[in-house]
Amino acid sequence: MSMKGFSGKILKIDLSSGKDSIKSTDERYVKKYLGGSGFAIELVYHGVPEGADALSPENVLAMAPGVFDGFAVPTGGKTAFAAKSPATNTLAESIMGGSIGAELRHAGYDALEIFGKAEKPSYLFIEDDKIEINEADDLWGKDTRQVPDILKKRHGWDVKVACIGVAGEKLVRMACIDCDDRQAGRAGLGAVMGSKNLKAIVVRGTGDLEPADPGKLLEIALRYQKIMEAAPSFNEDTKYGTGEFLGWINKEKGVFPTRNWQESFFKEREQIDPYYWAPRYVSKNKACFACTKPCGKLFEIKSGKFSGVAIDGLEYETLYSLGGGCGNADIESVAKANEVCDLVGIDTISAGVAIGFAMELIQRGIITEDEVGMKLTWDNASDSVPKMCEMIGRREGFGDILSEGVKRAAEKIGKGAERYAVHTKGMEPPAYDVRGMKGHGLSFMTSTRGACHLRAGMYAPELVGKFWRWEGIDRLSIEGKGEKVATMENFMGVYDSVGLCKFSRGFFLIDKLREVIEAISGLQFTEEELLKIGERIHNMKGGFNVKHGITRKDWLLPPRVLEDPIPEGPSKGAKITVEEMNNMLDDYMAVRGWTTDGAPTPEKLKELDIV
Amino acid sequence: MVKMLVPYPDKCTGCRFCEIACTLYHEGKINHADARLQVHKRDVRIDFPSVCTHCVACKDECCVTACPVEAIKIEDGIVRVDEDECTACGTCVEVCPFGVMRMEETAFKCDLCGGDPTCVKFCSMGAIKYEEPKPEQYEAVRKLLKAEE
Repeated sequence: MSMKGFSGKILKIDLSSGKDSIKSTDERYVKKYLGGSGFAIELVYHGVPEGADALSPENVLAMAPGVFDGFAVPTGGKTAFAAKSPATNTLAESIMGGSIGAELRHAGYDALEIFGKAEKPSYLFIEDDKIEINEADDLWGKDTRQVPDILKKRHGWDVKVACIGVAGEKLVRMACIDCDDRQAGRAGLGAVMGSKNLKAIVVRGTGDLEPADPGKLLEIALRYQKIMEAAPSFNEDTKYGTGEFLGWINKEKGVFPTRNWQESFFKEREQIDPYYWAPRYVSKNKACFACTKPCGKLFEIKSGKFSGVAIDGLEYETLYSLGGGCGNADIESVAKANEVCDLVGIDTISAGVAIGFAMELIQRGIITEDEVGMKLTWDNASDSVPKMCEMIGRREGFGDILSEGVKRAAEKIGKGAERYAVHTKGMEPPAYDVRGMKGHGLSFMTSTRGACHLRAGMYAPELVGKFWRWEGIDRLSIEGKGEKVATMENFMGVYDSVGLCKFSRGFFLIDKLREVIEAISGLQFTEEELLKIGERIHNMKGGFNVKHGITRKDWLLPPRVLEDPIPEGPSKGAKITVEEMNNMLDDYMAVRGWTTDGAPTPEKLKELDIV
Repeated sequence: MVKMLVPYPDKCTGCRFCEIACTLYHEGKINHADARLQVHKRDVRIDFPSVCTHCVACKDECCVTACPVEAIKIEDGIVRVDEDECTACGTCVEVCPFGVMRMEETAFKCDLCGGDPTCVKFCSMGAIKYEEPKPEQYEAVRKLLKAEE
């Protein structure tokens, strides 16, 4: 084909029959879906039959490297995974910075589509055009560091390994997929792998990646490298990582959800702030594949009861979920819990929120310490949080109930527990109290994978007050938020499809992506065309969800956000009323051209050429 | 003193951008196996770059003296392969202690991009610097490589 940068081949693996095949694509496919998340969502949208259970062989797990992945674009090494989510029953993508996507491109494929179910524990081995489904009896039960270790010793250091921990095997609905100590964390996609008896995906690619214009690509890469390094925030960004603004969000804005969202200002913040822990525990920076602006940190504990912990981490979200959200002010405990989550293979956000939820239930006497089997209380967070993470990942004791996520756990517990379950669509929320940023609250509802900070990223424009085309944004107002959220969702759809890190969205605006895509593929896009692709992707997800029975009634904000105002701090008194929620939703549906119930209209689908 | 690529293993994040940039610059395409330097990414604690030392730190494992046909020469402090003389016997690849001597039709290696190394421009954390050689930095990498064996 004349198009460069893409092989035009999507590898399809049927684990039931053990057969593989190639789906050929062309320039039109790229023009329509772009790559990365766009490809992955197309494969799931068209591959999963209506009503199929997320944990059935009928579900499709897609993996697709972004357009930039493997090519020389600073911070552009992201790979998208997608499937019907066992957490939310919606079409969900989860993006990771591991190197397996780029390796898949070197092996000659633009994407991978896995369906069916292997008869027994297996792993997929891809080495260029050699495809094998191998037995994985010896890997079953192993953690996410042991698995790549064994497989690399077997197949060579150059193979890339994406795998699940024990949690994925046990179909924990918050199980993640791990590669290079980075995770596709959200939406329980690790359980989809587990349901297919697929412990790992191993890829080795030896082919060249040939950009359309190598000289131009290198020139662009150098230019952005310089812009990025010259940014005033570069030093702080790389020194403190994504938790850089924790103190500001907590103290200045008062929207840092604390103790299962009962408060939004964590008074005991000191230790979990990276300004405290980075100088004390971090020995070097860690980066995703092809990222020259590393937010990851090698966090090591060398003495005390958590001695031996060594993780790539302590992301902002984790500092909230396993820290403030559980009232856990002990940074070593947060790091330990983070390591447990990584090894057993669960999402730190969902795990932390589920634990915080259980702690509140104990606080209110809805469940007892005896039922939980430990002193799972705010004042004993340091000890109990890491332990409960392990129990969730292994489905042991009370961990088995929490491993289903807060929505299902609340249903099972009963006794009014639902009142304290913070989620939308069954997804536990990230670290932004939407009572104090209402557009972000809307995006929790409209996010096709449930409560999420990255489908629209509305927290940034609302907290800063401006972004891209907008200025003077009032975080406590609902005015115009429908249009902004829809536009940001389209923007982020493009980001996930080119495979850029959202840490770069301050300077890599959509218009700037055009020349990069052209240097790699030779294809030209206008800014409008790119945003149209973002819109198409969102409409496919929305359309899928409606077909699978998820409509507006399932989108709504939890009681905590609607009924309990933020009790103190800079955002004291803030909440989203039912009326505001409904107005924002109506506004959003109108902007989207969707029915009030959340379904893309036939006209909209036709306009976007979605079949 | 001629400047060299100097590795600082404790600064390496394991992103491997240097490898990508290296092959894009030299070959116009990307293939990590063709990169004239290598990032070793082993586990969460260990990632480090190994670079060509241009004879400063190879000791008795030097490709220049090992080459049976004298196809590897030092010019202006840069170790170069004479492609016309090279018989592709692979001896240099075997002796190279840093694993940065590569082989296709002939041997090839880092040429410091003619004095403006591309890898360094992307190494924002300073794990590879272009400066006067620092033997202790090469020793640190050599130790890590030995530990891997």
